[in-house]
Amino acid sequence: MRRASFCGTIVCLLVCLLCGARTSGHVGSPDVYYEGLAGPYRLFVTVRMPQMIPGIAQVEVQVLDGRVSDIRIVPMRVIGEGSETAPPADRMEQSTSDPQFFSGKLWLMESGSFQVRMTIDGAQGKAEMGVPVAAFAQRTLRMQKTTGTVLAALMIFLVLSLIAIFGAATRESQLEPGQAVPPAKRQRARVAMAIVAVAIIGILFLGNMWWTSVANANVRDMVYRAPPVQVSLSGNQLTLRLGSSYWHELRKSEQLNRIIPDHGHLMHLFLVRMPEMDDFYHLHPEESAAGTFTEGLPGVAGGSYAVFADIVRESGFPDTMTAKIDLPAGDKGRPLTGDDSSTVAPKISTVQTSATTVPSGADGHIEWILEAKTLQAHKPTLLRFRVTDKNGAPATDLEPYMGMAGHLVILRRDLSVFAHAHPAGSVPMAALMLLQKPDGSGGDAMAGMHHEGTPAEVTFPYGFPQAGEYRLFLQVKRAGQVETAVFDAQVLP
Amino acid sequence: MANGIALESGSPATHSIPWYVWASALAVTATSVGLYWDISWHMSIGRDTFWTPAHLGIHFGAVVAVISSLFLILSTTFGKKRELRGASVKLWGFYGPLGAFVSLWGGLAMLTSAPFDDWWHNAFGLDVQIMSPPHVVLILGIFTLGLGGLFLIVSEMNRADADTRAKLNRVFLYAGCMLTILLSMLIYEYTDYTLTHSAIFYRVLALAMPPVLVGIARASGYRWAATKVAAIYFVLWLLALWVVPLVPAQAKLGPVYTPISHLVPLEFPLFLFAGAAALDFLLDRMTGRNKWLQAVVAGLGFVLVMMVVEWPTGSFLVSRLAENRFFGTDYYPYMQRPSDYHYAHEFYAWEKTRAEFWLGMAFAFVAAILTTRVGLAWGDWMRRVRR
Repeated sequence: MRRASFCGTIVCLLVCLLCGARTSGHVGSPDVYYEGLAGPYRLFVTVRMPQMIPGIAQVEVQVLDGRVSDIRIVPMRVIGEGSETAPPADRMEQSTSDPQFFSGKLWLMESGSFQVRMTIDGAQGKAEMGVPVAAFAQRTLRMQKTTGTVLAALMIFLVLSLIAIFGAATRESQLEPGQAVPPAKRQRARVAMAIVAVAIIGILFLGNMWWTSVANANVRDMVYRAPPVQVSLSGNQLTLRLGSSYWHELRKSEQLNRIIPDHGHLMHLFLVRMPEMDDFYHLHPEESAAGTFTEGLPGVAGGSYAVFADIVRESGFPDTMTAKIDLPAGDKGRPLTGDDSSTVAPKISTVQTSATTVPSGADGHIEWILEAKTLQAHKPTLLRFRVTDKNGAPATDLEPYMGMAGHLVILRRDLSVFAHAHPAGSVPMAALMLLQKPDGSGGDAMAGMHHEGTPAEVTFPYGFPQAGEYRLFLQVKRAGQVETAVFDAQVLP
Repeated sequence: MANGIALESGSPATHSIPWYVWASALAVTATSVGLYWDISWHMSIGRDTFWTPAHLGIHFGAVVAVISSLFLILSTTFGKKRELRGASVKLWGFYGPLGAFVSLWGGLAMLTSAPFDDWWHNAFGLDVQIMSPPHVVLILGIFTLGLGGLFLIVSEMNRADADTRAKLNRVFLYAGCMLTILLSMLIYEYTDYTLTHSAIFYRVLALAMPPVLVGIARASGYRWAATKVAAIYFVLWLLALWVVPLVPAQAKLGPVYTPISHLVPLEFPLFLFAGAAALDFLLDRMTGRNKWLQAVVAGLGFVLVMMVVEWPTGSFLVSRLAENRFFGTDYYPYMQRPSDYHYAHEFYAWEKTRAEFWLGMAFAFVAAILTTRVGLAWGDWMRRVRR
């Protein structure tokens, strides 16, 4: 058994080759951005999720309104067991250069739907707020070259020294003190060392198999996989059959079965024509049978479509399922009704990036107010949009669209990033609603619904997860009509 | 420093207990206590940094072992005491007792586990399992460190006069007990009382325990040595069950499913002394007989006695009668969901069919025979260690 310990270093070198695969869990945008009210304080919260669970999330809070002196954070489940009891909260560190900026660490020990429970103290008294976070392992990490080299060197040393110890034990350990080593003992020691060397090779081989399987099992059990979805078209009837991933199967007890409405719908379905991203549909299929969603399609432009199906589980855990489907061109189709919407956009390959003003219907514009000259990856930003009428004045006819001042779909051109954000941020609104307490101490989940300030301005707290070309679909409702504006952006590293 | 006088043959006979014997006993104690504390820490407090007292205990043991072994090897190699070098083995030009080299190897393996564990945390998440590969490296490092201590003591013992041998034997049995405690922690996940009606429980016991118990008893040469070792383990473990919950503690990780107000101890100890007594008794009765025959009889006896004792003990521990501070089955770690408490009162059927169970038991009997034979060989080998 002792000798098996050598296997570790070899195996870890092998394991890192097997486990570097990146997953598309929540489609490449796992960090949480949230803007909301905690009593009198308006906060912009960023939760940078760990790549592996258990792991440590980095939490940053920028106070936008109010004077805050102390923030404490603690992880809790959103519902069910673990949602009422908590460990002692950790105090966030206040920045010396910006007293209204706080940072802290949060240990997330399990996957699933959690909240960062925040207790805020400041000039206007105490307040509480919960920020929902979906905790899941994104991927395993490769071993650094230096660590690998050090471990390999230690392994070689340990192996050689162990063989030498066996040799010394056979050769001399049972001789009387001072007695010279007989030739027969030397010969026996050589044989023993050879046997031990062969045994170590065998144990390393077996250990390699064992630990590779341990590592693979860890990846299989822990790294998030979105449930599979089967998309088919019959006539103009689009059907989505949801499957279940092994990751979800292992966590059935964590309220991951039932799907709950997220701002009024069980599913938000986005269809984007690829590769030019020039047709966009935001639909809401109904659940026709358990796990089966259907909707009659409108007439669409033919082509290959990327499918993103957003759902929220009863625990508040969101899943975005992805698929592709080829849709034939069709004039006949169901007209868009209810909250369904669509738009036709210029081909992404023909557009100069960072267009800031696009037509909003026939009666105005939507402008992206860029606070900085460039957009940077990982930087928490309030994406600000202004809706103006045909005279350039702030629009006065905005109304909530599915209860929200606006919806923003963010897509990286290669589809490696998909996010569906609201003025409250990238958190699922349904999870936010679960955190609401009757006394209002859960924070202001409706921050996006009765947006304060200029009614014609909508902001979305978000941070682009990686550099690259992005297309943003902004949706607002004006005078009963859903209007979709399309923006392109180049995000720098 | 080492106490030895050169006899006519050049053989130093030990008259008192050398400092490095105490150092190795201290090292194995610190690591054993540290490891127990660490498991309890993970169940109660959860938050883990390198600087927890439990980790410091483990690494203090490693540091003591590495420094004392290094000092012993260097002073033997470069010192002026010829008799020390005479009672040494030679390895890569260095001289020292075999146990010093083995202890040093164990300490280095423990050090190796540190960067490995660090990477494992980053790659696969923070500690959630005892038997992760880097932990196995750490535990085996600790175990080797303990073995080195045994070799150090036994080589002194085998050269000592009768009085000193008796003293050293006590230290030897104590170190053997620490090794047994380390082993018990290693197999802890498979020796839960809810598994006492599954073959896995006896398979793991049969694989792990006879080599150490028989080997130590054999090397000690004293009657009922294995029983004494197992009895010390039982008493210390039971004391821990009663004392550890007196230490206030609070879970520092979420989600907290079970609020904690004190450290959570490890479960009620195994009645290992019963199996050890069977080994002692049967091997004593069969002295001088064929070693394989001894292994067959003693190995089968060990498993049978453990079954006779642990099967009904398991039945008692899963009952509500054991939910008290004496038997301690009502301690739950902070991550235990109340909805899962009922599992503590149900046997877990590791083997899903009767055939699987009996196959597992057959494995346990065969394993016990083989490991008892290994213990006999190892013990006999240790009896002859002089350096």
